[in-house]
Amino acid sequence: MSAPASAGIPRGAGQGTVSTVRRAVLWVPDWPVAAAMTAAGLSPEVPAAVLHGRGMVAVSAAARAAGVRRGMRKRLAQRACPELEILAYDEGRDSREFEAVAAAAERVVAGVEISRPGLLMIPADGAARFHGSEEALAEALVSSVADYAGHECSVGAADGLLAAIVAARNSALVPPGGSADYLAGLPIDTLTLAAMERRHREAVEDLASVLNRLGLYSLRDFTALPSADVLARFGPAGMWAYRIGRGEDVRPPVLRRSEDDIAVEYVFEEPAQRVEQLALVAAHVAKQLDAALLGAGVRCGRVCIAARTERGDSLERIWRTDVGSRSGAFAKHMADRVRWQLEGWLSGTSQGPEPAPLVSLTVTAQDVLALGSEQTYLWGGVSGADARAHRTLERIQGLIGADGVLSVREQGGRGPRDRVLALPWGQEPAPSRRIEHPWPGRIPDPAPATVLVQPQLIAMLDAGGQPVTVDRRLGMSAPPTWVRLPVDPRDERMAAARRHPSSGHVGEVGEPSWGLPQPIEAWAGPWPVVERWWAQDSTRGAYVQVAVRDGLAVLASFSGGAWVLEAVYD
Amino acid sequence: MRLAHARAALASVHQKVGVERVSDEAPALPLAEALGTLLPQGLRRGQVVSVEGATSLMLALGASASAAGSWTAIVGLPRVGVVAAARRGIELSRLALMPHPGVQAAQVVGACVDGMDVVMLGPSLALSHADRRRLASRARERGSVLIVAEQWEGANVSLTVESSHWRGLGSGDGRLREREMTVVVGGRLQGSGRRVNITLDVDPGVAWARPGVRTVVDEEVA
Repeated sequence: MSAPASAGIPRGAGQGTVSTVRRAVLWVPDWPVAAAMTAAGLSPEVPAAVLHGRGMVAVSAAARAAGVRRGMRKRLAQRACPELEILAYDEGRDSREFEAVAAAAERVVAGVEISRPGLLMIPADGAARFHGSEEALAEALVSSVADYAGHECSVGAADGLLAAIVAARNSALVPPGGSADYLAGLPIDTLTLAAMERRHREAVEDLASVLNRLGLYSLRDFTALPSADVLARFGPAGMWAYRIGRGEDVRPPVLRRSEDDIAVEYVFEEPAQRVEQLALVAAHVAKQLDAALLGAGVRCGRVCIAARTERGDSLERIWRTDVGSRSGAFAKHMADRVRWQLEGWLSGTSQGPEPAPLVSLTVTAQDVLALGSEQTYLWGGVSGADARAHRTLERIQGLIGADGVLSVREQGGRGPRDRVLALPWGQEPAPSRRIEHPWPGRIPDPAPATVLVQPQLIAMLDAGGQPVTVDRRLGMSAPPTWVRLPVDPRDERMAAARRHPSSGHVGEVGEPSWGLPQPIEAWAGPWPVVERWWAQDSTRGAYVQVAVRDGLAVLASFSGGAWVLEAVYD
Repeated sequence: MRLAHARAALASVHQKVGVERVSDEAPALPLAEALGTLLPQGLRRGQVVSVEGATSLMLALGASASAAGSWTAIVGLPRVGVVAAARRGIELSRLALMPHPGVQAAQVVGACVDGMDVVMLGPSLALSHADRRRLASRARERGSVLIVAEQWEGANVSLTVESSHWRGLGSGDGRLREREMTVVVGGRLQGSGRRVNITLDVDPGVAWARPGVRTVVDEEVA
């Protein structure tokens, strides 16, 4: 099995024939904490750290001087430095804040690759020639980032990925061809610096610890091994580390070309709150945006509609647009979208802050692409049926409103209602809960085909007709024997039965109307689900699956002393 | 074996005599193999299928078509289980839900019939008899399939779940695993109703534990 693989890969790696790129790396130390401090408006002298999970992920220089280290628990860190400012971890914020640094670097060089927030990569050859020397390039980069982004950074240059990263951390310029020697004496752990994603970093950390236990402490020891043996013993991750450790590149830098978002703003002379007034503005703004896009020779994949209200609230929503099929009708399509959005906000039907007159409206084109560079599917463009369905759904949105047509996607969760994310058709989804997470206590498949929008009260009775309860230790007071499911209160037969004293109803008006008790044929449970026990909105309950006569099976849950019907397996 | 022979002979006679029209309609949409006994002629485009008593059977009918690239709209079923739809094979990126069409139900369903391949309708939509006839003829013309969760006058096929039985649940243990349904197949061109047993959510674990339970029995109800 391993013969073809080992014959295919290591030729280049073994003989060092892969071309390496001379690159400069710009590194901002402790980026997560620097970004968090900028976002929180703290001054750099304040000791601060970013906490994620159980340990500190990044520590500011002041905090490090006070004895706080990466990976420390919160309590230990606070003991070392009581005035420590603990900030929350937010990957989105890290990337967002880093955009300022990337923009500052782009004032000096034409193209950069953001390897991860905190680390920028620049092909050094051309840029160094332009600026005169690599020292001049480094100086220009450092001063530009300090001036425009307000962050301190260090720049290094070397051949190959790992050498360049290490050089940046030491502010060193490694001469061409000297990377292998520069890396040789470094410890094996250095490899983790070149792993950009968390998964990958964990794999490389594992590898480094194995190598240490095998008695290989420096990169020189590791790269002296025969490459075929490394591949055979450590697989692709080992081979990656081997090549990186020799100062080679595994891929060339991927440069981004910065395209500014195109935005159109409209400021209302008087705060607007009538829909007719807004319809005109929507058409006007959409036409302007279309003209601006055409003028720049681009199309966009998403449009962000943002408005500010009189009270100072800001509303923002992102909509997808079809790049391919929308060339002619873009302005009209966007006008509809903007109008629906504004109507929704003003009427208060969509969630968000309280409706108030609007002061200004901004429409921004995002994901801007040059005309003609759009990617279509491998087998031709959007099919006719797809385009027809999209048009149909937009027409229906025009009939019953944007919120009347929903697109759904699955998301992670435990109960059947939590596992669905529904959004108005065409709206860009917010990040949802991950499905891959374990979700202990999830209701097992098959999923119920009918999920109640609002859970309804039911009665679960034991053989003697007493209500069944579940105690804190998940003990059921008795096996459930009878269940009374809710019925339509307009059902005449049930209403008649309800009036009869033997039905058990006392006859109050607001009381839920239950059907006759049905015998339970089989049941399973109780399955406990405790969610967010640490927070205010904690829920605690137990699910049971119950099958009654005629093959009707339901999912019921017990919480707060009452049974509710969650879903029906019909 | 003999049954198959007999059926083939009967079919050839039908063909010769012309009891059964040879369809010149649009080709059928793909249908899951397990449901082949319900709709032997497949999910023909342009027909109305009414399903009473099981939402999951509705979803199962539309699943293979959706997985093969068709668009699906579900109108007036606010309580449909989306996860169940996805598990049955409905592609969620080609699914649109219109839970509450309100008084404009006729226009909304009409637009869906024009633009989507499979349209599922919930019970208690605001549709008059005239609306229904118009929608059915529109579906026939456009070649889309209407799957309706209630009785529909003049439905090409009507499936009524007579009884169903779940397996895998004990007394306090196990979980719902597999269900067997008895469905009465009737409708305009179906002649007398026949009963068909089908198994949904086939779970190999259950079948293995109790071998020989999955058999299909056709019998005339008369």
